Order: sequence, then C-alpha cells, then structure tokens
Amino acid sequence: MRRCLLLSALALSSCTPEERGPDPGRVTLHRLNATEYDNTVRDLFLTDMRPGRTFPDDDFGYGFDNIADTLSLSPLHLELAEAASRDLVNRAVLPGLADQGRWRVEAESDGATATLGGASSEGWNLWSNGSLTAGLNLPGPGLYSFTARVQGQQAGPDPVQMALGLDGVQRETFEIEGSAWQEVNLQLTVSSGYHGFSVHFLNDWYEEGVGDRNLLVDWIDVEGPLDAEAVAPPGYDEVFRCNPGLMPEDECVDYILRNFAPRVWRRPLTTEERERLTGLYVHGRSEGLEFEPAVGLMVQAMLMSPHFLFRVEIDDDPESLEPHDLSAWELASRVSYFLWSSMPDEELFEAAEDGSLLDDAVLNAQIERMLEDPKAEALVDTLASQWLFIRAVDDTEPDYAAFPEFDEVLRHSMQEEMRRNVAEVMLGGGDMRALLTQRSTWIDARLAEHYGFAEPAEGWERVSLEGTDRQGVLTTGGWLTALSYPTRTSPTRRGAWVLANLLCEEPPPPPPDIPGLMEETAEGEEPASVAALLAKHREDPTCRSCHQLMDPIGLGLENFDGVGRYRQTDAGEVIEAQGSLPDGRAFDSARALSDLLAEDARFDRCVVQKTYIRALGRGPTVEDLPYVEQITAEYVAGGRTFSALAQAIVRSDAFRMRRGEDGGEP
Amino acid sequence: MSAVTRRWLIRSAAAGVALPFLPSLLSGARADDAPPRRFLFWYAPNGQRMAHWVPDKVGANYDLKPILEPLAPVQSDVSVLTGLANRPAQVPVAGDHARGTGSFLTCRTVVKTAGADIQNGVSIDQVLAGKIGSETTLPSLELGVEGGASVGVCDSGYSCAYVRNVSWAGAATPLPKMNDPRLVFDRLFSGFDPTLTEAERAKRRALRSSVLDVALEDAAALQSKLSVSDRYKLDEYLTGVRALETRLQEGDELACVPPEIPGSNLDYPSTVAAMTQLMVMALKCDLTRVVTFMLGNGGSNRTYEFAGVSGAHHELSHHQDNPETLDKLTTIGRWEVEQFAALVAALGAEEEFDGSRLLDNTLAYFSSEISDGNRHNHDDLPVLLAGGGGGLHAPGRHLVWEETPMANLFTAFMGGVGLPENPFGDDGTGPLDGLL
Repeated sequence: MRRCLLLSALALSSCTPEERGPDPGRVTLHRLNATEYDNTVRDLFLTDMRPGRTFPDDDFGYGFDNIADTLSLSPLHLELAEAASRDLVNRAVLPGLADQGRWRVEAESDGATATLGGASSEGWNLWSNGSLTAGLNLPGPGLYSFTARVQGQQAGPDPVQMALGLDGVQRETFEIEGSAWQEVNLQLTVSSGYHGFSVHFLNDWYEEGVGDRNLLVDWIDVEGPLDAEAVAPPGYDEVFRCNPGLMPEDECVDYILRNFAPRVWRRPLTTEERERLTGLYVHGRSEGLEFEPAVGLMVQAMLMSPHFLFRVEIDDDPESLEPHDLSAWELASRVSYFLWSSMPDEELFEAAEDGSLLDDAVLNAQIERMLEDPKAEALVDTLASQWLFIRAVDDTEPDYAAFPEFDEVLRHSMQEEMRRNVAEVMLGGGDMRALLTQRSTWIDARLAEHYGFAEPAEGWERVSLEGTDRQGVLTTGGWLTALSYPTRTSPTRRGAWVLANLLCEEPPPPPPDIPGLMEETAEGEEPASVAALLAKHREDPTCRSCHQLMDPIGLGLENFDGVGRYRQTDAGEVIEAQGSLPDGRAFDSARALSDLLAEDARFDRCVVQKTYIRALGRGPTVEDLPYVEQITAEYVAGGRTFSALAQAIVRSDAFRMRRGEDGGEP
Repeated sequence: MSAVTRRWLIRSAAAGVALPFLPSLLSGARADDAPPRRFLFWYAPNGQRMAHWVPDKVGANYDLKPILEPLAPVQSDVSVLTGLANRPAQVPVAGDHARGTGSFLTCRTVVKTAGADIQNGVSIDQVLAGKIGSETTLPSLELGVEGGASVGVCDSGYSCAYVRNVSWAGAATPLPKMNDPRLVFDRLFSGFDPTLTEAERAKRRALRSSVLDVALEDAAALQSKLSVSDRYKLDEYLTGVRALETRLQEGDELACVPPEIPGSNLDYPSTVAAMTQLMVMALKCDLTRVVTFMLGNGGSNRTYEFAGVSGAHHELSHHQDNPETLDKLTTIGRWEVEQFAALVAALGAEEEFDGSRLLDNTLAYFSSEISDGNRHNHDDLPVLLAGGGGGLHAPGRHLVWEETPMANLFTAFMGGVGLPENPFGDDGTGPLDGLL
C-alpha cells in the first residue's frame, strides 16, 4: 500500500548542513518581476503607466512570483522592456501630446459588467432597470466622446428610456424610438485613470401576454481626449532636476547623473558609468537631438541597464562562501522590495547614503515608517494575495449552470473582502492569528446578498460575524470559491491547501491515472453528495492513505458551497461538518477548525516561513532552519504582529548578509 | 510604439487608407524564386474524443467524424494523421498535462520540478527557426490566449513553465507567448511609421542601438563581478539584447498592409480569431516563418458557455465514458477544429507573388498534449496537418501509421528546410514516410 507522508517544505532538502557555521545563503541576481517593475517606474516617474503588464507572465517558485531563481528573462521580455523604456521616456518624461486612443468594449465581453440581464444575439439584454458598465483606463484628462450602440425593444405606452453615465452617475437621458439599432453619443470631460462608462435602462415595462420593454446594448465606444495638447508629464520634473537655461547643459547633465540616475540604479554611479551615459547624451546631440530628447536617451539606457532590470548585489569575492554584510544601498533595496515591492524612497536612500541604515535602531524605525506608508499595501497585493489565494479568485471559473449567480462583480467583491480583511490585520498591527479568527468582515451590497446578510448603507462596511458560521479567511466567499471545482466543492483541495499553506505541510501529489469523482448522475440514480462520493473514494486503500489526511479537513467546510454560500444540505443530505486534522484533533465546524489552526504552533511557523520566502525571494534550504526558528521566536514574543515579523526577518543575518558560491556549473 | 504612430494607424484604419504596398521589399523572400516555407504549430488542450475524430476510411476523401465536420470546406487541404505517439511524455506518475504540453514540440521527457531546475529540449519550431529564422524580422512568433495562473500551482509538482509554453529555445529556456492580440499587433506592425522617411527610420534604429550598446557595456563590466548562477541570469539578458540589436540592424520595413488593430478586452472566441488573423498576416508579410499558438494552457479548465457547454474543459475531459460528458467534449473539439479550419481557409485565401496560395507553402500542424482525457495516454494522438509546405506534404488524406514516434514527423520537417534528418527528441528514429 502506498504510504502517505506529509513533507515540510523546509525538510525537503534534508541533507545535513556541513560544519561551517551559520549560512545566510545567497539570492541570485534578481530580475524585477512585473509588479516590482511597475511599482518602481511609478515611483521614479510618478506615472500611472504599467508597462509590466505587457511583459510575459512571471514564473512562480515556492508559491511566489518573486523567486530570483525562477525569474527568467526571455528575448521577448527584453524586447518588450526596450519598448517600455522608450514608451516611458516618450510619455512619462518628455513633454508631448497627451496620448489619445479609442476603445471599444463589446457588451457581452469580459470588459463589461452588468447589474442584470443576459447575453443576447447581438449584445447584452438589459431586461429590467439596470446598467451595463465598461471600465477603461484613460491615458490623460480631457474631452472624450462616449458612444453606445443600443436597440430598444418597445412595449407599453412609452418609448424606451435610457441614460449614459460616468462612474455610476447618469449624465444624460435619451429616448430610444423604434426598434432599429442606433448609436447614442455624449461628450464628457474626464480625468485620467480608471473610469466606468455605463448605459442605464430606466423604464422597464412588462405585462404578461402584452409585451416586454427591454434595452439591448451592442457595444460601448470611447475615444479621446479630443482636446489633447502638449503637456509635460509629472516625470519631467523628476528627471530634469536642473534647468538648462540656468546652468550650462553639460553641468545639467552631470547633475541629473548625480541626482536622478542613483534613484534608477538604487545606488550612486561610478565615474565610469556616468561617463558612459554622458557619451550617449553627446552622441544624441551630435545626431541632432535637442537637449531634452538627448537626456531621454540616457534615461532609456538607465532603464535598459542590468543595474535597473535586476537587483544587483555584489560579493567582493563571488567564489567565497564566507558570509559578508550587504552594503547599505543593497540593504535599502532589500527592505523596500520586501515591504513595498518597489524602490526605496528619498528617506530610505538618505539612510543608505549616510550609512545609518546599518544601525539597528534606524533600520527598525525605517520599517515602522514604511509599514505605515500606503505603499505597504503591496504586502497585501503580493505576499498575502499569493499566500492566501486572493489572486486565485481571478482564475476560478464557477460553472454557469451550477452557480448562475457568480459573475465578475461578485468575483471582484470577493477579492476586495479578502484584501480588506487581510490589510486590517497585517497593516493594522493586529495579531496575525486573526486572519483565521476574525469575527468581522467587510461586505458590500453584492456580498451581503450573496451571504444573506443585511445590506450595508452604502459602499463597503465592516460587519460583525457574531451569530453566523463565518470567521476568518477560510469562510470568505473568495477562498471557498477558489478552492472549489467549477461545479462543486472540493474538500480534498480545501484540505490539501490548509495543510500546505497554513501548517506548511505539503501533501504529495496524486498518483497518475486516477479517475476523478463521478460528477454526472446516471439515469435513475440519485445524485450523491460530495461527502458521500469522497467516503466511497476513501474505501479504496490506495486513495485512502493520502485522502484521509486531506478530506477530513475539507469536510469540515462542507457547509459552504462552491461559491462560498452557507448551506445545510448537499444533494438532499444534511451536511455534518465533522472533520479532523491529521493529528486526530476533531472539530465540528469551520469556526472550530479555524480556532484549532490558529492555536497550532505550526501556524506561527508557517506564517514566518511564507513571509521569509517572499521577503528574500528565494526558496528555503536546511541552512535556513535556525533563522526561521529564531524569527518565529521573536515574532511570537513580539505579539505575532506583522510588524514584529518584518522586524525579525530584516534583523536576521539571512536578510542582511550574503555570500558567494562555489564555482562550476550552477 | 509611439503615440504618434498609434494615432496615425487608428486614423488610417478609420479612414480606410491603405498603406503603400512595397513590392521591392519582398525581394529577400524571393531569393530562390519560390515563396519561402512556413510552419505553424497549433496546440489544443486536453486531448480529443477519438471515437468522434478518427476517420474510418484511409486515404483521400476520408469520412468526417463529428469533431472533424468543420473541416468539410477545406478537407482537400487537411490530412488526418493517425497512429503517432509522443512516448517521452508517458511516465507513470501524475502530471500528464504538464509533461505532454512540455514535450508537445520537444518529444523529450521533461524533468519533474516545481523550482528553477527545469529541463526540456529544444522544440521543433525552434530547430526550424534556427535554420530559417534569420531570414525574417522575427525568427519565430509564440502566441497563446491564456497567461499564467495567478498563483503558483500548476500540475502535480511540475513547473508552470511546462504548462504554459510549447516553444523551447533550450533545455531550460521556454519562450513565453504573447496572449493579447493588441500587444501582438504593436509588436508586429508598430515599428513601421509610414510618416517617416527611410533615412529617419534608420536614424531612430541607430539611436536605439546606441542605447543598447551602453547597456551591453554595463553588462560586460558587471559580468566579471558575478558568480556562476548570477552570470547565468545575465547571459539571458545578453542573449535578449543581442537578438534585439540584430533585429534593429535588419530594419523595420513592412512589406504589406497591416491588418486592422484588434480590439481590447476581447472575449475568448474573438481573441482566437484575432490571433489567427495576426499569425496569417505575420506569415503573409514575411515577418516570421515559424509560429506556435496555444488555444489554452496545458490542462486548461476553460469554460465553453459560448459554445453551449456547461462545465470546465479539463474536468470534462475526465469523462469516465459518461455519454453526456462525451458529447460536451465533442462540442468543444468541434469548436477547436472550426478555428483551425478558419486558419486553413485564411491561409488559402492569401496569394503569394508566384500565384500560389500561402497555404501551399505552409505546413500547419494541430494536436494536443494527450489523446483521451480519461486515460491521459500519449499514443494515438489527434493530429491534423494542413497545407503543402512547399512540396513537403500532399494534403487531403487520412494517413495511418502503426505506433510511430511523433518525433519522426518533426524530423521530416527538418529535412524540409535543409537540415540533416537526424532523429529528433528522445525516441525519434528518422524521417516519417508517407507525407507525399
């Protein structure tokens, strides 16, 4: 019989460490991942351009997308980075015409969301009063032309009435006569950034046997800005920190290389490096470029340099295994990419420049300051979103027949609920166990309806979960949906996830050629509950050894269906949410399970381990065990706050030191 | 792409202004007075329902089973290949989708790892591009419709790299694909700004090159300070910079009229249609001669509501012989074949300078990482081969072999571009006979 063992990720490389003292390890030359690239150019140029979104998707390792060893750089990636460097200089730095564009969103496509209705032959049928919205990210402020192609299905005494709206506010009302497709248009002054363009159906009418008045929408089209004129983007002042009218041009270039370039490479440039870039400027001028575009050429070269695209850390002797401290500049980058997924800011750079960052007290104060900065939300969007599967909600595709209520609006609300809960704990100074034990949550109207709660007065509201069966991340709609199959729950997936991500004990993958659960019901046969199917499944001894570790955990969550709604029965059977952990501890509800996990010392260690991997951007080895133990002790002693955890990680030698490696093949 | 160019293209597209056709630029492609050979590789996830795929009749005028019915209008241009196997993917541990997708065009047994030590082989498209890729602006073009998963879990302990990529430049170097038609359009057609003179365009390229020169000098200075694994990362960087420099030296002239700009936020069927148009144009304009396209990532769990199917593809593919599920798989398979038939028709509609059809000079291959979704077997694969490939293939027949390595088909392709017909992959034995 197959024996099933849980493997701790850390114990995977269970070779004996050689007798050579503590080893802080080394992080391979670390390419900025898409998020880091985008956040960094945001902070460099104060731009809302996100060129990283055009890059090939980053690969994952150990559950995160910032693992240096797995972040490769393909020729396509480099080509797109080069295009991005030109785009950034042209659009985020040099003055020019504001970018114009034209976007068409088909009403039935993923780009549009509707409050109600359904896809029809040529578009989307708003069959009752409601709206359809296309979300667009506009390049610049100005006058935009907003067109919608619509058709009225007439019935009742009045013609179809509709409105065009911006960001949820109706801006102009139209009467749609007749039944031909027609275009309605409105010109609007809009700021740059993300906006919702909506079509509203206002006068639904229906009388059985008499008629049904509907509004059909084919597409929404937005074009502009129509009044674009030459403007200097905010990045201009970031780069041009001197005025060539007030000082000689070559001095100005040197000033930029001493004051702006170090921000791009996250350290001061050597003389040789400055000369190289100056040479490019001179070449540009000799080719007839004006001062500003020639400086732009230098900025492009800075952005294409390995010193920007990678986080470079240098060993004095790359082949020596002797650990050494990082430089203050390297440390500043490690801290800022850990907490902000972005470059250091002015204050952190100053602490690097005067070396004070190497002082514990200064470093601690910087961490506290940085965690209070809005940029620390990156911890929610990268660390927590990957660890707690908030991002996985993006990939989940509940089946329309099984869960017709699931739509893009609900998906978004589910993720937002998780984000808000996690942010509250991580960035609000709470005990991290509250991720599992929180007895409150954030809801909007859509989630309130989904969960059967009272609708909030407006927008998002924090509500108590007392009196409900919900508590913590394991009962959020998003998590429950992400760990389900399209048509049903999966206690196995849910259980395996809890083991791997909350206790850091990895169940082995399934053997080959295993049949899935019988989903469809043969004729004349009663549909069976998922619990009953799994019970049958565990009768098979080959399945049993592993499934008995995972299924009993997930079975404790069976009161929540494939899109996270509370239920008391499945396929007619009353659900008994009885479950147990592999060590035998039993529980009878999702809440009881969450409490058991929160009390488990392995959860503390797992929180540390996940954060440690994400903070360093490398996989753990057996040499990391002493560091993880030490950090766990400090984290627990510090009240299990994220701040205590971040401090303990940054204080560790694994974070502040590195070493070279043996020569030979990698 | 500069804002100016984008605006210009939008205006010209809106006003129906055609770009000038530049016949002189095609001269490179006419070196031997015959149109060049092109290769397309289509990947469709999760296998097929083979009982609704394999024709009963062998040879020409084969019967069309339900999944292949959409081929009817182009049947004389498409062969059905039966009996080919990709044995290197058959390993008795879980992860058949990752393994089958990873080895789809490499015919190698990929190394099971979720970390950095991925290992595969060079894929056939890259072998071909190594020979004919230098003739075109892009040595090869990798397209798809699904990006990565949002979290790092792929298939049973296999790296996501195997599931997302069928094109491999080296053992550890997957070539990522582009999944947004708009970005593909920009990459293919934006470099050419017809409002500039050739001298101005050359000057722009020279300036871009000089920027890269500086970056290369930075990299060279850095290289000597790095350890082995860091140098490996920097080598990837250097490879990319040099490839781009080569592209800049070759110029950015466009030998044809660009297609219309694809819309943004397209749904899945529209994305596939837009990608099909873009790859046809890329071949027609001779921007590249080698294209790979993934209709989904390995083991994709896409839903096909638009085709009237409830349930998700990968889950359905574990059909357990349930008749209802099998019928859903037929519907999905038909839809996929319809897309391929549309590609074949589009290639057939494009005329080359010598009056032949683009399709006559192209080989378009279609297959999946497995055969049957329930069994996860890697033999008896569903394979279509369309087009003449410039005399390499006589299409329109049902060809049957006995348990023959897929690698041998790829070896035959190698011979077609003048490469030695060495055995390909782990199990190749020599070129496949019978294509003519």
